[in-house]
Amino acid sequence: MTDRGLQDLVIRALADAPFRGSAEWRQRALADDERVERFARFLARHFYFERIVHFFKYSAALARVTGRRPDAILGQPAFAALLPSLVLGTRDSARAVAGLVVAYVKSGAPLPPIPYHEDLLRYEEAMMVVEAGPRVWRETGNGERGAGAGAAPQTVEGTALLDLTYDLPAVLPKLLRPWTAAPEAPARPVRLIVARSRHGRVAVAKATDAIVSIMDLADGSKTLDDLAREAGLRPAELQATLQGLTELGAVRFSTGS
Amino acid sequence: MSALKIGAFYNPHLGRELAEAKGIDHLAMADPPRADDPWWPKIKERYTLLLHDYLGQLSEPLDERSIQRARSLAELYRTPWVAEHFQCLHTEDGTYNLNYVFPPLYTEEFLARFVANANVLKARLDQPLVMENIPGFFDVRHSQMAEPVWLRRFFEATEVGFLLDLPHVWLEAHYRGVRPTDWLGEFPLERVVEVHVAGVTEDPDLQGPWIAPAEPTEEMLAFATHAVTRCPGARAVTFDAFSPSLTAEVLLRSVERIRVALA
Repeated sequence: MTDRGLQDLVIRALADAPFRGSAEWRQRALADDERVERFARFLARHFYFERIVHFFKYSAALARVTGRRPDAILGQPAFAALLPSLVLGTRDSARAVAGLVVAYVKSGAPLPPIPYHEDLLRYEEAMMVVEAGPRVWRETGNGERGAGAGAAPQTVEGTALLDLTYDLPAVLPKLLRPWTAAPEAPARPVRLIVARSRHGRVAVAKATDAIVSIMDLADGSKTLDDLAREAGLRPAELQATLQGLTELGAVRFSTGS
Repeated sequence: MSALKIGAFYNPHLGRELAEAKGIDHLAMADPPRADDPWWPKIKERYTLLLHDYLGQLSEPLDERSIQRARSLAELYRTPWVAEHFQCLHTEDGTYNLNYVFPPLYTEEFLARFVANANVLKARLDQPLVMENIPGFFDVRHSQMAEPVWLRRFFEATEVGFLLDLPHVWLEAHYRGVRPTDWLGEFPLERVVEVHVAGVTEDPDLQGPWIAPAEPTEEMLAFATHAVTRCPGARAVTFDAFSPSLTAEVLLRSVERIRVALA
């Protein structure tokens, strides 16, 4: 094994708690187990602190009425209990940690009640879960095909559609500005799409009916003609929607052979 | 020593205080400015800015996108030098990522990788490159040489500058059970361009001290005073704290205490 391969093993041991406990890792005896475990736990807390601060910033802004700072979960037994199963960067682990945050913040019962609180927590949780997963750190020249003739777009795994009762995008910026009474959100249903680029950037957009159709139909086997016919879209409308979805990270055109 | 510039990191949540602060010569930029940051124009106009972002890990060559990003940020900040770290924090295939600085194995193979990739990056930048040391909490038995030896050979082969992170040296000395000044003496201090000073606090997971967004202790300030007298090429000292939990009071007082200690 190369030194680079060994470094990858050490990185994996620090990121992947079940691997750290495996015979495959322990038999190598590359480092002091106790020190590795302590550093891994430190890294896990740091990893999720950064994500909770970023993705739950609106809940943090509401903490003075909920009495619950989202990142406080990291100091509680529920998070400590997760540590032996966490694999940093995976969707399952992001879901588990975000779930703890949501349960903790919900237990705050704000006074007066915030009608869109449930929507807000679902939105923040979705953002954190969508962000998880392997990412491209450097381009290796194996680019993706564009939407040319014969291309078969595919919805990217992990992309989420979110149906909300309140128009959250209208209230989110207000939450981060100074306020005395919690800002109100219009009671107006919205559907959002949350997606992540290959490089790990999470983006949100309002989902139109055309977007929802394409998300359902784009399975990597249908051509653009198939998609246009089945979704009932004009070619220009399909192209424009696909371009937007590709920029968002919700749709990819897989590399041809 | 009187020519040393004393600065801090730009923490966007402290934008108002930093825009109005006195006694700070420069700000290091760990992230690009947010489009909605109301204080950025004033910060950019007022301060010397140091590029200290994550550009990429030099265990692999930086791709063109990363190099262009580095060039673009360097131009935006008009930075006098570009900083990167001796780090290898994600697996080659991108599956695992620590999201925190982590050193490479100190081996011949990694030395060759870092030298080759740093030389390529250096040639593509319009500003000098400086590289920052990263602490190890544990030794990996496969390493072939001590960190200071590896760093010395790297700097000899690349002739880039050294960003000496003093708390990193202090922590390694602590966990090795040696005197910080002795451990520091092993490093190639003649290459130092910039020095980082920071606070350390007890971390419950590590069961020992680690870097934290806190004021430097008197011991750390004395260590900094000792260090800069041995770094003839040092041009700047930066209070190294970048965290949403950092307060303006801690930042401003730390910079002031560093300035007094080094006066």
